[in-house]
Amino acid sequence: MRYDNITDAIGDTPLVRIDPEVHGLRHIDLYAKLEMLNPFGSLKDRAAWSMTRRELAGAKERGETIVELSSGNTAKALALIAGLHGLPFKSVTNRMRIPEIKDLLLLLGAEIEELPGRSECLDPTDTDDPLTLFHQRLSRPGGAHLHTDQYFNALNTEAHATGTGPEIIADLDGRAPDWFIACVGTAGSSTGVARALRAHDPAVRVVGLVGRKADFIPGIRTVDEVQEVGIFDPATYDTLEAVGADEAIDGMLTLLRRCGLLAGPTSGAAYFGGVRHLRALDAELTERRTAVFIVCDRVESYLDYVRQRRPDLLGRPPVKNSVATLTDTEVRSAAVVDVEDAQKWIAAQRPLVIDLRGPFAYAALHIDGSVNIVDELFEELLRGGLPFGKRQPVLLACPVGEKSARYAALLTRMGHPDVRSLAGGIIAWRDAGAPLVRD
Amino acid sequence: MRDDPLYLEPRLDPRTAALLDSAPLLHTLVDALGSPLNVLLPDRTADNVRRFRAVLDHHRLAGRIFFAHKANRSSSLVRRLTTTDADIDVASLDELRHALGSGFTGSRIMATGPKDPAFLWLAVRGGACLNADGPAELERAAALVRAHGLPRVRVLLRLSGFETSGTRRLMRESRFGTPVKSLHRLLDVLARHRDELEPIGVGYHLDTTSLDEKAAALEGCLRAMEELRVHGFRPRVIDVGGGFGVNYLAYAAQWERWTTELTAAVMGSRPPLTRGGHGYGLRVENGTLKGGLSLYPAHRPTAGAAYLDELLSLPAPSLGRPLGTLLLESLYDLYVEPGRALADQSGLTLGRVLEVRPTDSGESTVRLAMNAGDVGLEDHGVLMDPVVLPRDPAPPGAQGPVGQVGPVGQVGPVGQVGPVGQVGPVAVHLMGNLCLEADLITRRTVFLPRPPRPGDLLAFANTAGYCMDFGATHAQQQPLARKVAVHEEAGRWRWCLDEEYWPFDRTGEPQG
Repeated sequence: MRYDNITDAIGDTPLVRIDPEVHGLRHIDLYAKLEMLNPFGSLKDRAAWSMTRRELAGAKERGETIVELSSGNTAKALALIAGLHGLPFKSVTNRMRIPEIKDLLLLLGAEIEELPGRSECLDPTDTDDPLTLFHQRLSRPGGAHLHTDQYFNALNTEAHATGTGPEIIADLDGRAPDWFIACVGTAGSSTGVARALRAHDPAVRVVGLVGRKADFIPGIRTVDEVQEVGIFDPATYDTLEAVGADEAIDGMLTLLRRCGLLAGPTSGAAYFGGVRHLRALDAELTERRTAVFIVCDRVESYLDYVRQRRPDLLGRPPVKNSVATLTDTEVRSAAVVDVEDAQKWIAAQRPLVIDLRGPFAYAALHIDGSVNIVDELFEELLRGGLPFGKRQPVLLACPVGEKSARYAALLTRMGHPDVRSLAGGIIAWRDAGAPLVRD
Repeated sequence: MRDDPLYLEPRLDPRTAALLDSAPLLHTLVDALGSPLNVLLPDRTADNVRRFRAVLDHHRLAGRIFFAHKANRSSSLVRRLTTTDADIDVASLDELRHALGSGFTGSRIMATGPKDPAFLWLAVRGGACLNADGPAELERAAALVRAHGLPRVRVLLRLSGFETSGTRRLMRESRFGTPVKSLHRLLDVLARHRDELEPIGVGYHLDTTSLDEKAAALEGCLRAMEELRVHGFRPRVIDVGGGFGVNYLAYAAQWERWTTELTAAVMGSRPPLTRGGHGYGLRVENGTLKGGLSLYPAHRPTAGAAYLDELLSLPAPSLGRPLGTLLLESLYDLYVEPGRALADQSGLTLGRVLEVRPTDSGESTVRLAMNAGDVGLEDHGVLMDPVVLPRDPAPPGAQGPVGQVGPVGQVGPVGQVGPVGQVGPVAVHLMGNLCLEADLITRRTVFLPRPPRPGDLLAFANTAGYCMDFGATHAQQQPLARKVAVHEEAGRWRWCLDEEYWPFDRTGEPQG
């Protein structure tokens, strides 16, 4: 396989059968269309390329910036395409809630503008949402923008009507599947694929999956939000069903752990919602049927998303020498020293004074001669053992003397004979009028 | 499911629920004092102060909790607060007078908002802290201090236009505060008036429900404090303003279902949910939904003190550590200015049903002895069902004697509600008492579990924050709502006129 250009590698993605042992459907063959194997990592590569390929030369000539309202994969693909062709790219969104993708976009050279949150004190006469205002700004004459407009651009749909859909038919030996299952984001893929499949066989059933309202699944819109999408037409779908974030993660786990597919949560939602829909139908069937769902992107960007919702899935074994393992008795018996005695002790014995606060606060004001080791780093340091000799006395300080007492207790447990915690912390030190310096 | 009544039941704390269970008392009060009537629960506001204090304690932060007076004009709330550890934030001359006259000393008052000369004078004279909008205001305050030989005035610098790193956040433009970029202009004024002005810190007040924007602003304040230090000042306060929100509704599912049905109604796929098909900001263009829902997010899983807790637990966008930790480590005190959140569940508004008129569409029109200004739910985009308090406690459907309805004589014919004998849920439109087509208590079709009848009371719960008297006017000379304060004593409700309330009982002992 040899290409002249990375965009030539867009499309022609594999269709992989899911082991019936995993999904448990007896009469339905379930296939995953692996759109995450597109070169930029997602289904959106097709739409991004379809919406820009004919425009790039002109845009370059006119010195335009590619602009899209996207929170993720479309922006990623557009940023790479823009870079390939020497154009700047700007993404505007109020939906960018995946920090890894935000950082990745910045790394790719994208400019990101985030829209403001809702007003706490409403002005009911102001009925234009920020997006509408943004559109108005874009459409003002004189703006040098190539606005790809994925939610309204027919080329988004066309990419799938001429690519994704026909590929599925070809891989199923010239037949359309009986069911096509897709999550609804821009509605481009579901609409385009559905059009191609139905042209081949009008009996194809299309299952659209939307996010549950209170939940957030990246890349999927809720049942209300899809109404804001120009491409969305309820007639495309034989049914619209909602999937929750937890269910999406469950589905994703099955794809990861049992199917060998490095799929993200949207794909998990497609799998979960698809199997849930098909299970009821499967029981009634006597002949073999086929269903296809889309694996739209990869898991790596969503680790923080998983960490926030299901931290148990990223559980780590307990660490050695952790403050979390201290008993209340141990913490209470930690040696503490009040401000006055601490000052005398510092003058007489020169203990190592360790300030456990963050560097920002330390830089502003600290006890003269103290060193700054932020609590998080200190905790890590202690896992390997004592970071200083036992003959070196140590005074630990934190804002109110709570954290430092815990670390003093831990160091004592680790065998340090003379470690004390500053009672009341730096705040007590300041309130006592003891000197603080910034240097 | 689709035809089930689209209830938006209010969230009621046990105290409010107990008060609503005492319908005879409420009827007596309205009989005596007229409709509409505002009922305040000052003890609940004191509870809310404790909730905010608990969050500060949890983060080991010292600080102050300022009640934003503009949320409610009540005396009982302000006087009750004097006995708590709360302070007060006032935004006008009369609010300042009210606070001083209720027992707040200048050291517990902060003056915010636009300040006319009299307001500024009394604030500076009274020793209030100035939440300063810009350099000109600082100059004016300094001139007053100098001219009259007053003590140094404490000032907080209200900042705006915070920069974000990485991604640019577009912020709603604010009329208030000084852009961070112009902080040097404030520093210049402060440097020239070291004997008159004592900068105790900086703050912001952003009109947004977004935690991310507030986190960016709080981090911006931390950096601004550094600037102040570099210039030789000793600031120690960061003021994060208010906007912590209130959760108005009991059930998230009802809110989600209602907003989805509204979308469907705007799209034309179900009958309208509002009078005249009003879309609350949503509209259709070429088959696509446009506009923004101009409604308060009435069901909020995180609001009030819990919202502050979440903000303080959030990592600072570029400094990394949790914002609460950064405040603590930097030895800063935290000021908060909740209005709505401190008034949460602290009052309700009662209106008497005057007339129930069936319409051709099957939905009844209910006219109340109150108007849209008396209960500003619609003005503030808050959607929430009223609670029906029957006049006649007989089982619903039984016809009460007409003559017993109300002493005022505003008796409509009984039995005109919906189909004869209907006792189940009804769809109604709530109209006010003004001779104006626009005087709707709400534009929404309201579903009630039973038909209201003339003489019944509709209780709008949780109106103390902005929805009670914010928009009340003397338009068309309808009576303004009287206010009463109620509290529980030995299992009984005690009440007095709001202006008669002081936080002790008639023997002079603290309230029991």
